[in-house]
Amino acid sequence: MSREQVEAALARAGLDVPEREKPVIAAAAHFIEEMAARVRTDRKMSAESAHIFPPPEA
Amino acid sequence: MVPEFLTLAEAGALISKRELSPVELVESRLARIERIDGNLNSFIRVLGDQALAAARSAEAEIMAGHYRGPMHGIPIGLKDIYETKRVPTTAHSKVLIRHVPQQDASSVRRLTEAGAIVLGKLATHEFAFGGPSFDLPWPPARNPWDTSRFTGGSSSGTGAAVAAGLVLGGTGSDTGGSIRGPAAFCGLAGLKPSYGRISRAGILPLAFSLDHAGPMTWTAEDCAIMLQAMAGYDAADPASANRPVPDYRAALSGDVGGLKIGVVRHFYETDNPANEATRQGIARTTKVFEDLGCLVRELRLPPLADWAACGIIIMLSEAYAIHEATLRERFADYGEAFRDRMALAPLITGGDYVQALRRRRELAGELAAAMADLDLVLTAAAASEAPPIDAVGKFAIFERPLLTMPFNVSGTPAMSVCCGYTEAGLPLAFQLAGKPFDEVTVLKAAHAYEKATPWRSIRPRLL
Repeated sequence: MSREQVEAALARAGLDVPEREKPVIAAAAHFIEEMAARVRTDRKMSAESAHIFPPPEA
Repeated sequence: MVPEFLTLAEAGALISKRELSPVELVESRLARIERIDGNLNSFIRVLGDQALAAARSAEAEIMAGHYRGPMHGIPIGLKDIYETKRVPTTAHSKVLIRHVPQQDASSVRRLTEAGAIVLGKLATHEFAFGGPSFDLPWPPARNPWDTSRFTGGSSSGTGAAVAAGLVLGGTGSDTGGSIRGPAAFCGLAGLKPSYGRISRAGILPLAFSLDHAGPMTWTAEDCAIMLQAMAGYDAADPASANRPVPDYRAALSGDVGGLKIGVVRHFYETDNPANEATRQGIARTTKVFEDLGCLVRELRLPPLADWAACGIIIMLSEAYAIHEATLRERFADYGEAFRDRMALAPLITGGDYVQALRRRRELAGELAAAMADLDLVLTAAAASEAPPIDAVGKFAIFERPLLTMPFNVSGTPAMSVCCGYTEAGLPLAFQLAGKPFDEVTVLKAAHAYEKATPWRSIRPRLL
């Protein structure tokens, strides 16, 4: 995620982040990308454990 | 003369026999706070008059033959996210500096009904998440074993105050390791019980589906005593479990021989490599359990990074939902560590959060399956002894996967237990985790270990 993308996300969230902190936050964004990728495994539609009406195997 | 250090169990026994006055005990701890805490910053608010009044009341009750039990007359401290009636509860933050609750948290009420005496409110990382921070209304707590060292967090003040003997027990909260981390670095016994075992009603939340309340004390026996007072169903917490509460202290006695323990070495050997002192400490620990007759074998679980990613995505998402509006309005009123960590939350999508919840279900299932023929899991509680306080980076919890997070994700009980000291005299620790609602086995094994080793007889040398 580029610094511009991070700053856009912060602006969209309405956070008034001091200028000096923006590059620090942007430099840490890769942690979130890596963790978000890690929680995504190869699950099918039917893998939703909380479904009351289970979807069919896809 | 009240001894410099007393365990909660020792003090309780003396009080029950009327050989120790709760008033003298509280006076001695207040004097100790006055003498020592200027170097530790463990308290952000000392409630001296209130504590002395409660101690006099406890003494009168006991002298009249109304002894309530082992918490009666025991001085404790509360992490400053536990709400207290008419006493400010700030989360160590400028944002809540004027927050004065109108009632006690359910767990505080249970503790005071059991006779505990609240000496004050203890330092925490801001909202149990930022820190260590040097830009908050109060300074960060410092480690009694070496005041240049980190206490661990977020229950930083509780770790410092209990280790220094300023209180005989304290409350912590644990969303990713905030009880077990400071317990490890400060040389304590710190128990994160099962999700739902202790009510969180009246405790300022970090992440509702990962937050656990729990005790931090010098010994496992003391944890059992405090847990007894804190545990139980509370309709005010939607996640509170309506399950029987066993007699934890009574369950400590007896043989641990035959307990089956799985050691998760890859967590601290490859996933988050621990230093040599920690590895040696754990190797000695497994030998102690074998000598006690336990059956120890290696256990493999999903990589630590999977547990950490799952927990942190959930934690940031849930915490951001709580602070979103205030972050928009008062971003600069939060400390830099808290606000910059929270500023990463808008990068998480709704899909990421739900995928983390789905992954959580899978991970919890894998742990349950792996423990089907085991009683306990043993692994490291921290990858090293306490680092220098000024060496802890703002994003440290993202850089290396937390060894404590798996048991927040699973919601199962886990405890940090001291397993010795480095050559420089800093505590080392391991972690024991049990099956859901089986705090008894965790406490029993920890108690047996403490009895078999000399570590509980070593206290920090303080001024």
